[in-house]
Amino acid sequence: MGWLRRLFSRERLEADLDKELRFHFEYQVADKVRSGIPESEARRLTRIEFGGMEQIKEDCRERRGTMWLESLLQDVHYALRQLRKSPGFTIPSVLTLALGIGATTAIFTLVQQVMLQSLPVNRPDQLWRIGDQPHCCNWAGYSQDSGGELSDWNLFPWEAYKLFRANTTGFQDLAALQAGNMPLAVRHAGSSGPPDTANGQYVSGNFFATLGVPAWRGRLLIDADDQQGASPVAVMSFHAWQEKYGSDPSLVGSAYQINGRAFTIVGVAPAGFVGAKMVDSGMPDIWLPLSTEPLMLGTTARIKNARVDWLDLIGRVRPETNPKALQAQLQSELHGWLASHLADMSPQEKAVWQKQTLRLSPGGAGFSSLRRDYSESLLLLMFTACCVLLVACANIANLLLARGLKNRQQTAVRVALGASRARLVRNALLESTTLSLIGGAASVAVAWAGARLILYLAFHMLERSTWIPVQATPSTLVLLFALGVAVLTGVIFGIAPAWMTSHAEPVQAMRGANREVGGGRHWAQKALVVAQAAVSLVLLSAAAMLGGSLRNLEHQNFGFDPDGRYLVYLNSMLVSKYKQEQLVPLFREIQDRLSAIPGVRGVSSATYAPMAGNQWGHDIRVQGKPEPGPKDDVSADWTRITPGFFDTIGARMQAGRAIHEDDNANARHVAVINQAFARKFFENQNSIGRHFGPAAVRNAGTYEIVGVVQNIHYLTWGFRDPARPMYYIPEAQTVQFDQPDLQSDELWSQNLYNIVIWAPGHRASMLMQVKKALAEVDPNLVIYDVQPYSRVIQGTFDQQNMIASLTWLFGAVGLVLAAVGLYGVTSYGVEQRRSEIGVRMALGADRGSVIAMVLRGAFWQVGIGLGIGIPAAIGAGYLMASQLFGVTPWSPLLLAGATVLLGLAALCAAVMPARRAATIDPMQALRSE
Amino acid sequence: MKKTDDRLDLPQGTLDLLIMRVVALGPIHGYAIAQRIQQISRDALQVQQGSLYPALHRLEYKKLLSSRWKPSETGREAKFYELNSKGRTHLKVETENWTRLTDIVSLILEGTLEGI
Repeated sequence: MGWLRRLFSRERLEADLDKELRFHFEYQVADKVRSGIPESEARRLTRIEFGGMEQIKEDCRERRGTMWLESLLQDVHYALRQLRKSPGFTIPSVLTLALGIGATTAIFTLVQQVMLQSLPVNRPDQLWRIGDQPHCCNWAGYSQDSGGELSDWNLFPWEAYKLFRANTTGFQDLAALQAGNMPLAVRHAGSSGPPDTANGQYVSGNFFATLGVPAWRGRLLIDADDQQGASPVAVMSFHAWQEKYGSDPSLVGSAYQINGRAFTIVGVAPAGFVGAKMVDSGMPDIWLPLSTEPLMLGTTARIKNARVDWLDLIGRVRPETNPKALQAQLQSELHGWLASHLADMSPQEKAVWQKQTLRLSPGGAGFSSLRRDYSESLLLLMFTACCVLLVACANIANLLLARGLKNRQQTAVRVALGASRARLVRNALLESTTLSLIGGAASVAVAWAGARLILYLAFHMLERSTWIPVQATPSTLVLLFALGVAVLTGVIFGIAPAWMTSHAEPVQAMRGANREVGGGRHWAQKALVVAQAAVSLVLLSAAAMLGGSLRNLEHQNFGFDPDGRYLVYLNSMLVSKYKQEQLVPLFREIQDRLSAIPGVRGVSSATYAPMAGNQWGHDIRVQGKPEPGPKDDVSADWTRITPGFFDTIGARMQAGRAIHEDDNANARHVAVINQAFARKFFENQNSIGRHFGPAAVRNAGTYEIVGVVQNIHYLTWGFRDPARPMYYIPEAQTVQFDQPDLQSDELWSQNLYNIVIWAPGHRASMLMQVKKALAEVDPNLVIYDVQPYSRVIQGTFDQQNMIASLTWLFGAVGLVLAAVGLYGVTSYGVEQRRSEIGVRMALGADRGSVIAMVLRGAFWQVGIGLGIGIPAAIGAGYLMASQLFGVTPWSPLLLAGATVLLGLAALCAAVMPARRAATIDPMQALRSE
Repeated sequence: MKKTDDRLDLPQGTLDLLIMRVVALGPIHGYAIAQRIQQISRDALQVQQGSLYPALHRLEYKKLLSSRWKPSETGREAKFYELNSKGRTHLKVETENWTRLTDIVSLILEGTLEGI
C-alpha cells in the first residue's frame, strides 16, 4: 500500500520536494555567480529559467500517483470548512436532507422486506409454487371458479397433494402447508396454569427439507413424523422460542400439551426463518405434521376430505426442468385426479371440471399476502416520499445557488489565480455531496424511527401481541440504499449551482457591480420554486383525497351501530373438550354471566361477528327454483347467532321476526336472511316462509325463512362492492347433512368465536371484567381480546389511516419547504435589487407599489407552479383511484382547498421580504455601492 | 543561452532513458543530471527543471530509481538518485529496444526507394 503510506507521509514528502528544488535553484544561482554574473541578476535569470516553481511541484505530485486522492481530500477538507463556516446554511440543509432521505429510506425498509425479499432458505430461485395467488384458508368443491369467473387452482386437498408428490418427477421435493392458521393452546406437560396461546400451521413432513432449512436446536420435521400412528411431534419457530420461552434450551425434547394432546417439541427452526407464508396476522409459532390434524380436530378434520382444498403447495424443481412442461404435467395430473371424483361432483362441477387450470409461479418469496395487500400502498408512499425529497433538493439547490452568487467574487479570484473550471465544478459537487452524505448519515436514525412509526400506524405492533415478519431495523441493503440516495440527491441539487459556478466570468465579477436588476441570473432559482409549488400541490391534493376517502370509509353505514358495543374474541375449544351437545348450554351460561356485569344491556354470540376478520360461505339452493347453471353465482355467506343478536349489535329487522329463544333443537330449522339475499334469490318478493339450504338440491328444504334483516357489512374489505347475500341460523339448531364437508362446517360453526356486548356509557375496563366473568364459567376458555367496536372498525382501516396520515405529513413538510424556498428566493431577489428599488423609490415609486412588485414576482412563480401542479394533481388522483372510497379523482373542492392552502403559504413567505423591500431607504441603497 | 529553435525535442519516453543512463554511472542529484546530459550532448539537449523533476519522481514512484539524502560537493544536503537492480534491468531492456528501433527506423529512412 505504497500510495497509502505516501498519503500519510505527505508533509515530509512536501518538505523534501521543496528542499530538492531549492537545492537545484541555489546550485544554478551559484554557477551563474561563478561565471561572473552579479548575484541579484543570477537569481533573476534562474527564476526565469525555472518558470513556475509551484507548477513543477504540482507536476511532481501528480507523478507520485496520489494526486487524485490528495486533491480529493483537500477538496473534502475545503468543503467541510466551507460548511462549518456557515452553520446557518448547513444545519437546516442537513436536517432537511435527513428528513427527506430518511422518509424515503424508511419506506424502502418496508418495500425491501415486503416486496423484494426472498425466503431465507437454500437456493430460493429453485422453489416454485403451484398457484399464483395468496389465498386463505379453505375452499370446498372440485372447481375453484369463483362467482362464475374462471380461476386457477391455488389451494389443494391432501389427496391431490399426495398424487402430485408421487407422480411429478420434475420436483426434487414437493411440500404442503396449511393455507390458514390453527389456533393453539400450549401448556407444559404436568403444568396446570393457564395455557399460552399460539398460532399453529400444519405442514408436510418434508416441508423443512424441501426449503433446505437446517434446525437451530434439536431436529426439524421429517417424513416419518408425518405418518398415521407416528408419535405426535412439533417444531417451534425461533421467534416464539425466544419471545415466549426465553430461548430455554430444555424446551427441545420436552413433552407439551397442545390443545390438550400430548406432543413432543423436537426442535427449533433457525433464526430469521418465519415459515413460507408472509401474513399480517397469524404467523406460525409452531409447525405440526399434517398427519396430526385428525388427532386435533376429530370429526371436523379436512385431511381425508377430497372436497376440501386447504393446502398451499411449494416444491423444489430439479435444475434442468422446464417450468412450462412441469405446469402442463401438473395440469394433466389435476384433470386425472378430478376425473377419479366424477361420481362425487355436483352437476355444476361436472360441467366445468375439464376447464380447471393451474399455474406454476416462482416461489422464492413464499406465499406473501403482505405483498398483495401492501405493495400498492407502499409504492404510493414511496412516490410521495420521493416528491418530498425532490422539494427538499430544490430548496437546498436554491440555497446553494444563492450562496454561489454571493461568493462570486471569491470564485472569480480563484479562477484568476489559476483554478481550473473542472476543479471548481468538482469543488461545488463535492460540497453538495458532502452535505448530502452528512444528511444521509443522519437519515438512518430518521429511517428507523419512520419505519417504526409506519409499522405502528399500520399494524399497532406495540399494542397487539401478534407480530408481523417485518422489522424497522435497517438492513445492509437499506443502508446502501440510503447511501445511494444521498449521493444521488447531492448530485441532483449540486448540479445547477456547479454549472453556474463554472460559468463565472472573473472579469465581470471582479468589476464588482452589484447592479443586478429583476430577472437576469436567478432564473434557475425561480424554476426551482415553480417546481416546488407544483409538487406541493400534488402532495396536498393527494393527502386531501386520501383523508376524505378514509373519513368516508370510517363513517359509512355498516348496517349496525358500533357505539357502546364491545367485541370479544375467544376460543372455547382449545383446552376444554366440550362435547357438541354441551356447547349450547355453555354459551347460555357465558351470556348470563356477562349480562350480570353492571351497565351491560345486551349480550349475544356468533360464529363470527361483523368485521371480525372471518367469512364462511356456501353455494345454496332455493326450494322451487330450477337448478342453477355452472356460471351462476349462488353463493351466500352465513353465520350462527344466539337470540337477541340483532338488538345487541343495533341492526334493524326489515320484515318478519328475529331469531328467538324458541328456535331450539325441538323446533323446525329457521333462518333470517339479509336484504341482499332477499333481492338476489327472491327479487324482493315475499321471502318469508320460503325454504332454502346449502347445495346440493336435496337440502333445499332445510331452512325456513322467518325474517329479513338489514344488510350488515361483515368483511374487512370490498366496501365498494354491493352487499353480499347472507343468512343467519340459530346456535341451538343442528342439521344432519350427508355430505361430510357440510357436516364438518355444521359442527364446527357451533363453536362461537365472537361475543358482542352492548354496554352504553361503560367506563371501567371491559377486558378485566370479561376475563373475570368467563374464568368463573371455565378457566380454560381462551380470551384473545376485548375491543370497543369503534376500535375494531378503526383497525380495519389502519392501512388507509397510515397512508393518509403519512401523506398529510409529507404534504405539510412539502408545503413548509416550498414556502421556505419561496421566502429564500424572494428575499434574495430583494437583496440583489436593493439599488434598483432605491432608484425606483427615488424616482417616486411608493411603498405600496414596491410591495406589489415583489409580491407579483412571487405569485408569478406560484401561479406557474399551480398551472403545472393542478393537471398533475388530477393525474395523480386518477392513478390513486383504486385507493379511494367515495372521493372522485377530479374534485374541484379539494383542489381549490389545496390551492388556497398553497396560496396562503406563499403569501406568508413573500410578505416578509416585500415589507423589507418597502423599508429600503433610497439614499442608503444608492450610497451603498 | 541557446535559442529554443536549436534545441531538439525528445521523443516520448527518451528522457527517462537518458536519466537512467546518467544515474547508472553512480549516485547523482538532479542538478548534476541536467548538467551531465547537457555536457554529453554538447549542449544540444537542455533538460528543463519542469521536465526533469516530474520524470525523476515518476521513475522513483515506479521503483526504478531509489534515492537518498546526503551532503553534496557544496556541503549542502542534496537528494541523490541511484539505479537499483530493477532499474538496471529496465535500462538494459529499454536500451536494446531503443537500438533496435533506431536501427530499423534508419534502415527505412536511409534505404533506397526502388522497391516501392
